[in-house]
Amino acid sequence: MRLRPNLLIGGTLLGFVFAVAATALVWTPYDPVRINLRRRLVPPSADYWLGTDEFGRDVASRLMEGAVTSLTVAAATVVMALVLGMAIGLAGGFLRGWTDRILGAVNDTLLAFPGILLALGLLAVLGPSRWGIVLALGLAYAPSVARVVRGSVLSIREREFVEASRALGNSEGYTLLRHVLPHTAAPVTVLATSLFGWVILAESALSFLGLGVPPPAATWGNMLASARPFMGDAPLLSIAPGVMIATCLLGVNLLGDALRDLLDPRDGA
Amino acid sequence: MLKRLLVALPTLLLVAASVFFLMRLIPGDPATIILGDAATPDSVADLRLAYGLDRPVLVQFALWIERAAGGDLGRSITSGEAVGPLILQRFQVTAAIVCASVTLAVLIAVPLGMLAAWRQNSWGDVAIVAAATFLLSIPSFWLGLIFLLVFGLWLGWVPVVGYVTFAEDFRGALHYIALPVATLALIETGVLIRMARASTVEVLRLDYIAHARAKGVPEWRVLARHAFPNAFAPTLTLIGLIMGSLLGGIAVIETVFTLPGLGRLLVEAIFARDYPVIQGVMLFIAVIYVMVNLVVDLLYPVFDPRVTAG
Amino acid sequence: MRLRASLLALAASLGFSMATPVAAQDSLRIRLNADIRSTDPGVNRDANTDGLMWHVLEGLVALRGDATIAPMLAERVDVSADGLTYTFPLRRDVRFHNGQSLTSADVAFAMERYRKRETNWRCRGDLDGAVTRLTAVETPDPHTVVMRLERPSALFLTILARTDCGQAGIFHRDSLNADGSWRAPVGTGPFRLGEWRRGQFVELERFAEYAALPGAPDGLAGNKAPLVDRVRYTIIPDDAAARAALLAGNIDVLPDARTRDLPDLRARPGMSVHSSPSFDLQIILMQTTDPVLRDVRMRRAIALALDVPELVRAVTEGSSRPSRAPIPVGSAFHTPAMSEVPARDLAAARRLAQEAGYRGQPIRIVTTRRYEAFFEIAVLAQGMLREAGINLELEVLEWATQLQRYTRGDYQMMAFGFSARLDPSLSFEMFTGPKATEPRKAWDNPEMQALLEASMRETDPARRRATFEALFGQLMQDVPVIALYSSVTHAVTPAHVQGYRTWAVDAPRAWGVRVQR
Repeated sequence: MRLRPNLLIGGTLLGFVFAVAATALVWTPYDPVRINLRRRLVPPSADYWLGTDEFGRDVASRLMEGAVTSLTVAAATVVMALVLGMAIGLAGGFLRGWTDRILGAVNDTLLAFPGILLALGLLAVLGPSRWGIVLALGLAYAPSVARVVRGSVLSIREREFVEASRALGNSEGYTLLRHVLPHTAAPVTVLATSLFGWVILAESALSFLGLGVPPPAATWGNMLASARPFMGDAPLLSIAPGVMIATCLLGVNLLGDALRDLLDPRDGA
Repeated sequence: MLKRLLVALPTLLLVAASVFFLMRLIPGDPATIILGDAATPDSVADLRLAYGLDRPVLVQFALWIERAAGGDLGRSITSGEAVGPLILQRFQVTAAIVCASVTLAVLIAVPLGMLAAWRQNSWGDVAIVAAATFLLSIPSFWLGLIFLLVFGLWLGWVPVVGYVTFAEDFRGALHYIALPVATLALIETGVLIRMARASTVEVLRLDYIAHARAKGVPEWRVLARHAFPNAFAPTLTLIGLIMGSLLGGIAVIETVFTLPGLGRLLVEAIFARDYPVIQGVMLFIAVIYVMVNLVVDLLYPVFDPRVTAG
Repeated sequence: MRLRASLLALAASLGFSMATPVAAQDSLRIRLNADIRSTDPGVNRDANTDGLMWHVLEGLVALRGDATIAPMLAERVDVSADGLTYTFPLRRDVRFHNGQSLTSADVAFAMERYRKRETNWRCRGDLDGAVTRLTAVETPDPHTVVMRLERPSALFLTILARTDCGQAGIFHRDSLNADGSWRAPVGTGPFRLGEWRRGQFVELERFAEYAALPGAPDGLAGNKAPLVDRVRYTIIPDDAAARAALLAGNIDVLPDARTRDLPDLRARPGMSVHSSPSFDLQIILMQTTDPVLRDVRMRRAIALALDVPELVRAVTEGSSRPSRAPIPVGSAFHTPAMSEVPARDLAAARRLAQEAGYRGQPIRIVTTRRYEAFFEIAVLAQGMLREAGINLELEVLEWATQLQRYTRGDYQMMAFGFSARLDPSLSFEMFTGPKATEPRKAWDNPEMQALLEASMRETDPARRRATFEALFGQLMQDVPVIALYSSVTHAVTPAHVQGYRTWAVDAPRAWGVRVQR
């Protein structure tokens, strides 16, 4: 197997992010929630590598803790959206008929809901917490997954090899799992990697409205949202979490591409 | 076509009902907000009576559905305006921005994505994918503000706030929507490039492409006649999705650029618990959504000959 | 520096050439952070609505800059010895925007609408028993109005002047539709309502026949001569965008600049910053019926663990004065005794908390991100209490949800803000009362309630002052709330705007302002 640059770069970037998170579990330079009003918005120095925020908290420490929170929340949300979405999409696309119509109606209902309203409603009922966010965003993104899966199932189910599997007398379920599911891997992987990013961004938008992961816990999203008013005076406050988000996403996406190439059944054959 | 529309009807009812009851589950109502820190139980009761919020929720829902079926979406609690015309007026702004940005994004992203797929793993491919990945990882409100500072304030190319309709002043309107359209288009381009690339890679692997190449069909013809049209179909689905998610997510952009669009109307109505406006806008968005998806589904077979219209 | 200046000049020149359809010369463009709710005074309103409508409508009396009351449409106010009869001789030179002269019948007509239950006027309850009862509005002749009360009240004129009640603005009957519903204001103010394009702008036009009082502008009273032909309120919800609009020359007044932007704005050539302390109050509420906070020692422990001056300095960047009294520092009733801020004492706080049986259980403080100050107060309080071993958890809610929790008294602690209260009795009344009937009230102390009611009947300022000091003393003992500070409004104008001033109420005033380029 040749070493793909995607895998190398993506793995390195993501490895860095996970290493930061792992370090944060055992050590951060300062207590990430410790307030120090005498050292607010301090520029970077040997003491504070990335300076301090509007409450005098150490940005580097918060960034590290944010890695833990953001990664956990995003991963949990993506898993939830994928499981739900693939179930709906596969069932709808493959079984068609009334199942498809009913699932389609429910799916369209969810899709037509702006995420913010859904999040607002669910968070009002669940109370603001990180698991509330996971549930709200997971539900909000599941329909997008379902739609993409259904679309690709529709385009695959008419192909010769699927017809052939049926003609050979294989059951529908076997055909679905053995021949249809692997072919949804490519679009779903691409979507899942984007989703990972969208969740981190959506969390920042929710934080912006005060609905994200509750403070003082740090996420890259709520750091970005809190930094916004200081963009002129302390640009690093916005740039640092932004760079972490971009690094993480770039890593995830490159790795996703590499993964898709590896997963592709015809490549292995 | 008509049958498909009828099938969509339950979706609309489902949306209407979920919005209605979800909104009433969320704590806080218009009376508390209007009265603010001076609300007495007495004055809250008076206002709830004035807005018909004292009746059972089911009765309120039935009344609303009955009027909505007759085309009357009620009046805004906040401003007293009729909801129907209010939505249409705000939608013009949003539609202009969404259509312009999606068109722009498609024009940039689809060719780039296909090019990247065609030259897969080349440096060009890597550069395009890296750029796309970078774009889709930027928060839109952040990009919007940067644009505002650079182009609005430092360079002074466009006015920082305000809006005129295209009917009033065509060139003026272009000035006002240039930044929001550029912001959204850039972000969507990132998503679309990756999607277009992925589906083109899929198609290029198919046997008939190899066949065509083996038969000596010129490469440009293979791409133009065989590969690209087929690769476009899944991308189309995503365009439909993006149109929809833009409608929901455009509120932040509309706030940053002070555009009186539908997204801002909805978010402001949610925060003010302006029930008639929220319900009206949601129903409207749902209708648009269903229609966009319908069009995408109907167009799918046109672009992908392997699928027969269902 | 040179680069910045030339960029600014470029931005200004372009802003000039691409100006909105309004000719910039004779118009004043003001930032409005959210659309107004309606033009119906004191009914469907918020602070923005009040601040815009006070250009259009005037009442019999109006607030001065120091929150005292001055006659406006009335020539003067005569109060009978028993405090039950108020006589308002009307000014003869006043015209409505439709050209009609103001008569006592117009006043009676407007007051009748305010007093109807269906109108939902914000101050109806106060004049219907809550503070006093307005029993009659009489018109002995076309130029005299007489109002009769059931019991004397020090607050009656203040209620008529309250901005959140639309100053009980006197409107012409043409303001109503045939069915009695509100159509559009036909008032007597210095400006009349022009085009209102919802979500975009509201325009006011100069009322050429406005009869200005002599002298200088003073609050909402005094000389209110309009000096610009047109005022355009441009709706810009985003603070950063608003600041950019000011620098690009798209607006002429930024009435509510953020404190943290001030150093930069001050440094720009031509920009002037105008600051005034407002009459609002930022406060931490505590639920005295809560199992943990029921014990007064626990509440005292929390108050002692807070470093109030440090907290206020941090939140307001040093622009507000810390004060534990609910009466704003700018008020004539804020006495020296009220200026004292008890020092932080962590040891005492720990001891009191322990005596109260506190064992580190989490206490939830409700806050919102809608108002950054509320959020920062909660975060800072959390950090400060942690040092005294008191474990605060933040519950960040969306504003409407927080308001409902406030109205229901459904919280342990809450970072909150009260809008401007112009009479010292109201400064206490806003959180004092029986929880059984008004759950939003934080301080349920019948003895103090009686004292407060006495202060509303008392008209002698010296005796009222003594009552308020007694109330304040007991408040510091009971600690149902921790008052922190009144915010300071900062407005910024470029060099071509002259005569702009801020005052105790946040919203801008466009009269007396000139635009000279």
